[in-house]
Amino acid sequence: MPPLGHLHMEHVLQAVGVLEAVILRSFGPEGGQVLFTRDTGQVLLSRSGTRILTALHLEHPFARMVVECVWKHSSATGDGSKTFILLLASLLRLIHAAASKGSNVSHSYSSTKAAEAATARHLADKLLAFGLKELDELIATGVVPYGGCISWEDFTVEAQTSSLTNNLCVQKLLRSFFHTRCGYTHCDFSSHLTCELLSHWNFKNQLPSFSLQLVSDYFPALHTPVSGFPVRSSRLIEGQVIHRDFATPPLKTDHQPVKAVVLTGSLQPTLLSTGDVLELGYRGRMKEERSILHFSSWMESSLQGVIAKLQTLGVCVLLSAVKQSAAVLALATQAEMCLVECVSEDELSLFSQLSGTTPIWDCSMIESEHVATLAFCRPIQLGAHRYKKHTSITIKPCSLIICAPGEGQIEQYACALQDAIRMLLRTWEPMLAAATTTSKSTLQSHKGASLHTDSLTEQTPYRSIAIQPIQKPGCVLSAGGLFELLLHYALLQHGHSCSVSPDLNIDASVSQLLANALLSVPQKIYSHSPKFPNDSHPFSLGDKLSKVSELDLGLESVSCKYQLLLAVLQCVASLLKVDAVLPTHTALHTQSRRLARTSWEDTEDEGEG
Amino acid sequence: MSRLSKKSPSVCTDMPLDNTDICSKLHLLKQILTSCFGPTGRLKQVHNNIGGHVVTTSASSVLLSSVSSSQPFINLIKTSILNHVSRFSDCGLFAAILCLSLIEQIKKSALKESVAIRVNNYLLALCTSYLQREDCGCRVKLDFCSTQNLITLARSVISSKPACVLTEPETFHISKLAVQAFLLTVPCSSPGIVSFGRIVTVPVEGHSVLSSEVLPGLLVEMPDGLSEEDKLLNPLSVVLFSASLAGDISELGDGVIEAHPDVDTDSQILGQLLELGRQVINDEVKLFMCQKVIHPVLQQYLRSHGVIVVERLGIALMEPLTQLTGAQPVATLHTTIPPKTYGKVRDLCIKHFGSKTMLHLFPLGESAICTMILCHRNQTMLNELKVVCQTAEHVLRLTLREPFALVGGGCTEINLAAYVRHKSKSEVPETASVLMCSQTEYLLGVELFCCALESAARALEHDGGSSLIDLTHAHRWMLPADAIKETMEESLGFCGCGLVQSSPSKKWIYLSTKYSDFCPSSVFRDTRVQPRVLDSFTAKLSALQVAVETANLALDVKYIIQDMN
Repeated sequence: MPPLGHLHMEHVLQAVGVLEAVILRSFGPEGGQVLFTRDTGQVLLSRSGTRILTALHLEHPFARMVVECVWKHSSATGDGSKTFILLLASLLRLIHAAASKGSNVSHSYSSTKAAEAATARHLADKLLAFGLKELDELIATGVVPYGGCISWEDFTVEAQTSSLTNNLCVQKLLRSFFHTRCGYTHCDFSSHLTCELLSHWNFKNQLPSFSLQLVSDYFPALHTPVSGFPVRSSRLIEGQVIHRDFATPPLKTDHQPVKAVVLTGSLQPTLLSTGDVLELGYRGRMKEERSILHFSSWMESSLQGVIAKLQTLGVCVLLSAVKQSAAVLALATQAEMCLVECVSEDELSLFSQLSGTTPIWDCSMIESEHVATLAFCRPIQLGAHRYKKHTSITIKPCSLIICAPGEGQIEQYACALQDAIRMLLRTWEPMLAAATTTSKSTLQSHKGASLHTDSLTEQTPYRSIAIQPIQKPGCVLSAGGLFELLLHYALLQHGHSCSVSPDLNIDASVSQLLANALLSVPQKIYSHSPKFPNDSHPFSLGDKLSKVSELDLGLESVSCKYQLLLAVLQCVASLLKVDAVLPTHTALHTQSRRLARTSWEDTEDEGEG
Repeated sequence: MSRLSKKSPSVCTDMPLDNTDICSKLHLLKQILTSCFGPTGRLKQVHNNIGGHVVTTSASSVLLSSVSSSQPFINLIKTSILNHVSRFSDCGLFAAILCLSLIEQIKKSALKESVAIRVNNYLLALCTSYLQREDCGCRVKLDFCSTQNLITLARSVISSKPACVLTEPETFHISKLAVQAFLLTVPCSSPGIVSFGRIVTVPVEGHSVLSSEVLPGLLVEMPDGLSEEDKLLNPLSVVLFSASLAGDISELGDGVIEAHPDVDTDSQILGQLLELGRQVINDEVKLFMCQKVIHPVLQQYLRSHGVIVVERLGIALMEPLTQLTGAQPVATLHTTIPPKTYGKVRDLCIKHFGSKTMLHLFPLGESAICTMILCHRNQTMLNELKVVCQTAEHVLRLTLREPFALVGGGCTEINLAAYVRHKSKSEVPETASVLMCSQTEYLLGVELFCCALESAARALEHDGGSSLIDLTHAHRWMLPADAIKETMEESLGFCGCGLVQSSPSKKWIYLSTKYSDFCPSSVFRDTRVQPRVLDSFTAKLSALQVAVETANLALDVKYIIQDMN
């Protein structure tokens, strides 16, 4: 980093170029995995662009800014982080070329650079404005007609008849997603598994996005990682898995239904809370009711009362969020109840959501509405751990067991699955990039509130912020660069039509630039395959389309691609607004602090100043 | 602020498999593991640079977990294998050797990684479907009516760990015990949910291996004040406490308890404990057991009334004890003990094992709890023997899910390789187009896969002998290094697993030479000929899958990022 950096396009290009070089290792059909070790020594595997970029621990302020943008984008759509970097790099290159050509008048070195930067900044702003205004319509007219549409029925009806040919569209979409995220080997298998999972989580009278959102929200509670088995042993099992073993002997009989209660506090009453003082021996005289025995026996008898109450309600399964005392365990065993301790909050909240019951804090207040009815409740042995699994009687939930030889791989698959669901959600529910942040905050509030939501049929708040959709929901297109090619031609045509009318001729250069930048993606995809026509000389659209369909790389979501483009344009604009990096020194260290902050607002201020 | 330090940038390695350092490390790891493989494998002594405990072993679980590498690529393979071993206990070395030779073979050839991954994946599916088939030439159905196959299976596990230092009769004895203990833990007549019993192992050092035995029921530490002359009425009533009976104050909450100097809380609590003792005596309980500590006064009181007191059982014994006696653990001290929580023991007797004296509890009815007493001459061998017996138990238990075994002695690998060679030769153009590669690439991939399988079989040989394959059944034969060509037939005798006997009509060739592919015919099952070496079906199948998946994964890694913080 230069001591006082007047930043030029070259610096930005250099930083992004390095990122591009790393990303290219795992891009496209010939791309591979990236193995990385955390500072904890944990080994992780990934083909996800976001994962790789964040693992690099970059020092360069520009690189960090880019990584931040990629992270923001992929947490919204779950997809497209590698393409993000490629597009960004090629856009920046083209802008640089255009800017240096435009300001070719011979001046002194620094003023040339300044003029160049100004032109570039101007171009980037225009690109963003163009993207926000025109891109939507261009995609709708130039790209969408070539694509298909996934419908929710694809999941639900056919998956139940288990014919895999019918929900081919979703399968293909997921297949190409898993190909880019986990490699070729298990992409078919993973997409089947995801489809099956989603078809099980389908609710009647509910919009598809509802169940997608639910699965996405509760994914941590819904999957169980099991290491040491081949990946193909991954499967779905009926019911919800509670990732804890029984603290008391499990139910001996398999009678149904089973009644269960969720506890958030200790069953044993607390006599003394913090700060209380129990004085033994009243005024020196020994009284029967002041002896310690009195208190401990009171505690035991009240505990027995609670257990008796639970017995009258027919409860035989207790799920506790906290650890219970030995007396509780012994009494529960004697009452033939089984107890599961230290159940995680996520799992209990999913349980309450599914069973429609509320957890109890104070055990003296147990009523029948706290009692959930389960279809079964039994221990399950998964790998080294024995877990408890159960299912509710009204809804048929199912959990996912992810197997792989190593933990790193399991995490990779789990992340990919979660992102796949997020991607499907975005495909299904296209929304404006600006709305992403609002929806996120409401999602969180929904999750927190879910403990108290009584039933699944209730309309949850995040549904209300549906923005007028630009495209039809569920629009998909063949993967392998078709989107970029189609949009390339659409943009060229648009530019052509614009250049006819003189007042809009600035638009033409912008769309031309974007069109050329888009071509870099298919170029990179087919860089390994000699069969693909090289783009150095123009080919007909049909020629390339036939190539793409020949390779059959599956499908990808149009709305995710659209959001990706917008995110890249925003990133370019904000990158080019920075003109200097001021390295400052703290008193203790000679460590450089970055003035160029990574959030949007700060960089804008920086650019003006 | 003074502790603030700069995060150092990560270290990146591009194309790890082209890196000579990584390749040589992989090769070294393969050599170490190969030399440990099988009954004649060489032992390894592991000791660290600060003079820690020295471990002598040839087991993959011990070896891999004690060898650490700074190279994440090696660790990736290591954790995969270790995870497999932790699930199936067996076939860890096989998986590691297969995985490493697959990587090495592919790296040596000019085959593109992405093509190799697709071919491996396809061939793995071919192998697994073959192993599941009825007419599979290397699979044996286990017959639970006879213990012979089970003992063979256990013996193959036990004899493959030379660090136990067992003689032939000792190996046989331990194998028999392992099967006996396994059979005792399978409940015979319980409707509904069947739950397995448990084998509790008691190690005894300094005795001959042949004095190891399996006892039904449980052994607990010998309580004080019990003589062998005491005669007790059978069956005995048992009470089992899970709470402490030491006289401590029960938990009332987070508050503070202030006791007036006049108040003798201890004696009040002790009085309560003695009250409990009185009830137990009235209920004619003869055996009083507690997970934690019992107050000495209460102990004395109970003993004086002829009750046997056993304290400090520990959490590990609680579950087997409840299963054995049928008692429910009690943790309430103030209420009367419900009669249904009492359990029963048919009888008890005192057992001596070397320096140890223990109380042996017999179950009243049928119980799936048994105790295995393992004896060996010294601590190191005893530790290895314990691990081996647990492996054997696990392997035997796996047979209940899939009642099959695979022939051992390298025959399965050779047979599988021959089958894959034969099968893959048909429909070459179609398969190649499905796998998106050329026919030459596909055939090269097949050859590499088979070579890796064969090298896993060859790893069993350590004394300079050579491996042969017969051209009818495709089993593995061993030719000692000093054998003469002319008398080859006599010196061969039986194949590696002992299922096929040599005959003049058979043809053999060396494994390293190329042979024209043939379909291995399954062995005609003569009931008199029993296989001598059997491997766990479930464990080996999973090991095969894990090995190929891990190799595929390793081949797919294009970039390594190491966080150096």
